[in-house]
Amino acid sequence: MTNYLFSSRALGYLLALIVLLLLPQVLSPYHLTLVETGLSLAIMALGLNLLLRYAGVLSFGHGAYFAAGAYAVGLLNMYFPDNFSFELAMLASLGVSALVSALFGFVCVRHTRIFFSILTLALAMLMFAILEKAYHFTGGSDGIRIPLPTFFGIELTGMRRFQFLVGPYYYIVVGIFAAATLVMLAVVNSPFGKALQATRDNEVRAEMVGIRVKRFRWYAFVISGTFCGLSGGVWSFVNGHITPEISGWVFSGEIVYMVLLGGFMIFEGPIVGAMLFTYLRLYAVAWTEYWMLIVGGTLVLLVLLLPGGVTGGIAGLAARLRPGRGGGRG
Amino acid sequence: MAQKTNRRQFLKMAGAAGLGAGAVSVMGTKALAAKKSIPKTPIKVAAISFLSGPAAGPFGIPGDNAYKMMADVYNKQGGILGRKIDLISLDEAGGAKTQVELARKLILEDKVDVILGYISSGDCKAVLPLSDELGGLMLAYDCGTHVLMEGKKSPYKTPKFQLGFRTSAHLGQDNIALALAIKKYMPDVKKIAGINQDYAWGRDSWHIFELAIKKLLPQVEIVKTLWPKIFTTDYTAHISALQGSGAQIIHSSLWGGDAVTFIKQAKAAGLFKQAKMAMSRGEPYPQELGAEFPEGQFLCCAGAHYFLYPAWDKWPLNKWFVSEFKKRYGKYPTYPSYHAYQAITAYKTAVEKASSLVGGWPTMEQTAKAMGNLSFETPSGYCVINKDHNAREDCLVGISKMTKDYPFPILDPQRLEVFPSFQVNAPAGLTTEEWIAGWKS
Amino acid sequence: MGLIYALNGLYFAAFLFLTSLGLSIILGVMGILNLAHGSLYAIGGFVAAYFIGMMTGSPAVLMLVTAAAAAMVLAGAVGLVMETTLLKPMYKRPLEYQLLITFGILMLIEDLIKLVFGGESRYASAPFDAMGSIEITGHTYPVYFLFVMGITALAGLFIWWLMAKTKLGIMLRAIEMDRDMAQAMGIPMRRLTVVAFVLGAALAGLGGALVVPTTPAVLGMGMDVLIMAFIVVVIGGLGSLKGTLVGSLLVGLTRSFTVAFYAELEMPLLFMIAVLILVVKPEGLFGQK
Repeated sequence: MTNYLFSSRALGYLLALIVLLLLPQVLSPYHLTLVETGLSLAIMALGLNLLLRYAGVLSFGHGAYFAAGAYAVGLLNMYFPDNFSFELAMLASLGVSALVSALFGFVCVRHTRIFFSILTLALAMLMFAILEKAYHFTGGSDGIRIPLPTFFGIELTGMRRFQFLVGPYYYIVVGIFAAATLVMLAVVNSPFGKALQATRDNEVRAEMVGIRVKRFRWYAFVISGTFCGLSGGVWSFVNGHITPEISGWVFSGEIVYMVLLGGFMIFEGPIVGAMLFTYLRLYAVAWTEYWMLIVGGTLVLLVLLLPGGVTGGIAGLAARLRPGRGGGRG
Repeated sequence: MAQKTNRRQFLKMAGAAGLGAGAVSVMGTKALAAKKSIPKTPIKVAAISFLSGPAAGPFGIPGDNAYKMMADVYNKQGGILGRKIDLISLDEAGGAKTQVELARKLILEDKVDVILGYISSGDCKAVLPLSDELGGLMLAYDCGTHVLMEGKKSPYKTPKFQLGFRTSAHLGQDNIALALAIKKYMPDVKKIAGINQDYAWGRDSWHIFELAIKKLLPQVEIVKTLWPKIFTTDYTAHISALQGSGAQIIHSSLWGGDAVTFIKQAKAAGLFKQAKMAMSRGEPYPQELGAEFPEGQFLCCAGAHYFLYPAWDKWPLNKWFVSEFKKRYGKYPTYPSYHAYQAITAYKTAVEKASSLVGGWPTMEQTAKAMGNLSFETPSGYCVINKDHNAREDCLVGISKMTKDYPFPILDPQRLEVFPSFQVNAPAGLTTEEWIAGWKS
Repeated sequence: MGLIYALNGLYFAAFLFLTSLGLSIILGVMGILNLAHGSLYAIGGFVAAYFIGMMTGSPAVLMLVTAAAAAMVLAGAVGLVMETTLLKPMYKRPLEYQLLITFGILMLIEDLIKLVFGGESRYASAPFDAMGSIEITGHTYPVYFLFVMGITALAGLFIWWLMAKTKLGIMLRAIEMDRDMAQAMGIPMRRLTVVAFVLGAALAGLGGALVVPTTPAVLGMGMDVLIMAFIVVVIGGLGSLKGTLVGSLLVGLTRSFTVAFYAELEMPLLFMIAVLILVVKPEGLFGQK
């Protein structure tokens, strides 16, 4: 059964990858930049879901680690403009976000439920306040521009960002996204992932069978935060400009929104959610001044009517159409 | 892409023909103009201002109203080269991240002909680089930060953006003009403090003012600098801190609801008994606050934009603009309205100029080329867009005074100080900081 | 000057108290962090500004009383609708749904305010101007600020009386301490929850009504307040009246003195205090876990 499931998933992934790689042939450049945004945010949504789905704690401050990754790139460019290469930028965003999430996570994992959420929220706001107030080091609320980097020694001078975004960078984003998805899949299916779920289901019992609950939750926190950091790093080049608002609670809330929109009970749900959210928000903003009515109204309806998110809804529908067979969950 | 190159080559050829043929070229251009047709479709113009939130009332809406009025007026005159202006008003609210995403959509998907926009300096810094990166013509109309067009080192690269412009002068002129006015009216001032918002606009405004005032009045001591967050609602703590500092002049670039709130709370706390404000963009607030606005404050007009200046008998365009605006919207235009006039008129003038050179409807690059060195009449006098793609204007500083003619204080007609643009704007290629450093006080 | 700094701090604390108390009650009694709480405050602000604008020329106190009453009624009504339709089905749902639905409500209310009142700021400073200023130890001080402190003190006393001396209050505290036990004892949970929520909403509305004479009602005004109230609740403790009072005072005074002496630290310092308390005592200074 597992084997069958695994192979069907592998097939699905392969198909999805082929579709993604073929998109530049059919989509307009503008939509490619949106897909890029969606894919880079999807990495973060996967990261958040590791905590939400598998560790059973809700972070309402994951913007902080996204910001850590993005600002690692920004500050690298600000202070070492001569060494601004893509590979170094990625390493910096991974390293800095891992460090920050290890530090913040260390204090957060000692709590669960609403206290965990409140603490993560407060830490994100602390990060926000520092990024905004340290004007001379971080550019304050103006943020930092992210120019085009060199790429393994290749200079991209003369190339418009636009050409870069719809050209080589698209494939880079797809590659990083695919790698991140596979890593996360491996994590949740590893013994560590199983143990993590045990801590979620029953903390005391997990402790009894020898799982060091807080330690495990902390590891999960760091992995999750690092995914966010990577996401922030990748996204920063797409957007070209970063501001402290990505560390604010509103953005952190939007991350949770993405995950729930896609459906957090299914591994791929957050990816779908990040993609849908990117489109929903942008088209709402461009379409009407009252975009918050649309984005907020969608959220309220989602929570009330479709708690399993889009993928959950589809899976439920599929299960209903084929009575007697369970959906491929996990 | 291929088409673009063709056009460029074509332009080169046209230019060479024009140069070579000399006088004969007059006929040549005409022939070209006839050959190149102008599309009949409307011009898509995106106008982006704050339509909601704290900056909407005092800036976004007066700016957007002026866009609507001018689009209407120009359309009645036949549009631009016969093409109607299709104005799309969009909201600047939502922060720099949202604005970057929106501009990307406008340029890449909606393919607007030009974006006229942005009030916040933070938004300008984030969005204007997109002009070159994505290939879209962008005219920043109101934001003030001087570093937008200036480089870090002198001489800086001009223009910084090929397709990005600012059609009003930057904050350098406001703050230098304020310093010059203070030198004239309060040459013995000892203690100065500053309260400015904690982002590019506030930080840069204070930075330039501090440089200029220290150069002009070396005896001045800076006793306090405060950086409230933008959209602060309670300034009591800041006001007390200013009172405690003993400042005689308080420099401020606060704007919108922040300026209104601060002045109200400061007045009730008695701040104006001991100190005068020097507001780098204070022109709209007497109208906003009415008779509550204290007298005797230094107010700069972000250029020479004032509904009573230039005098109506000397400069009929101002009279027309003010009367038309008042007729439509029931209020006198404030400087954002004048800035909006400048942006849409700069675009119109540049397109017409480019077309007269190359014939037909000019490409974005040709329009940009024409705009890089452009001068045109505005209700406030002349606006010159320099080769650094930044406009230069004269700058007006006045002192608030209650008269019997208006229900709010106006700028005292006896003490209007107009500084010519060369006195308050650094020349292209030189940063404002270096320019001030070079003054012989 | 020190006295004036302290007064400013107290004034700011008064606002925080009004706006945080509702957040704290809702968090304590229902266990929901209501992100839309700031929007109730904004409703109060816009409604009050509307009424003050309508009553130009009336005596200041009359204007204020009418505006405050209208603001409390409307904010309370919106709270009632919100609780009974959208939040009620959430109590049994996991945390992420509870948080997200209030996030969605926040966006809805923000835009509904824009639909009803328009995007422009609303000025309503007549009562503030009418009350003028007095001299305190040689410094001018606006009377209105003292007025706000007085109103807040009254509201605080009323809530204290409600919680400590009435049956309603005792039952509410019982729910806070142990939900299951309270239910087992036959306390009418449903009705009490509604009462607590509406009370919190009305207080936020009052906070909004009292702020508009000093600063225009603007879109997004609820966002900053939510964050400040959040800090207060985190410091003081969930659902604790005493905690909210102490938290407000601590935040108000810290802000006033940091601005006077080292303005750069204002926000980071407040968050630092909040995080420190969360780490050491996550239930807050006076809260029960």
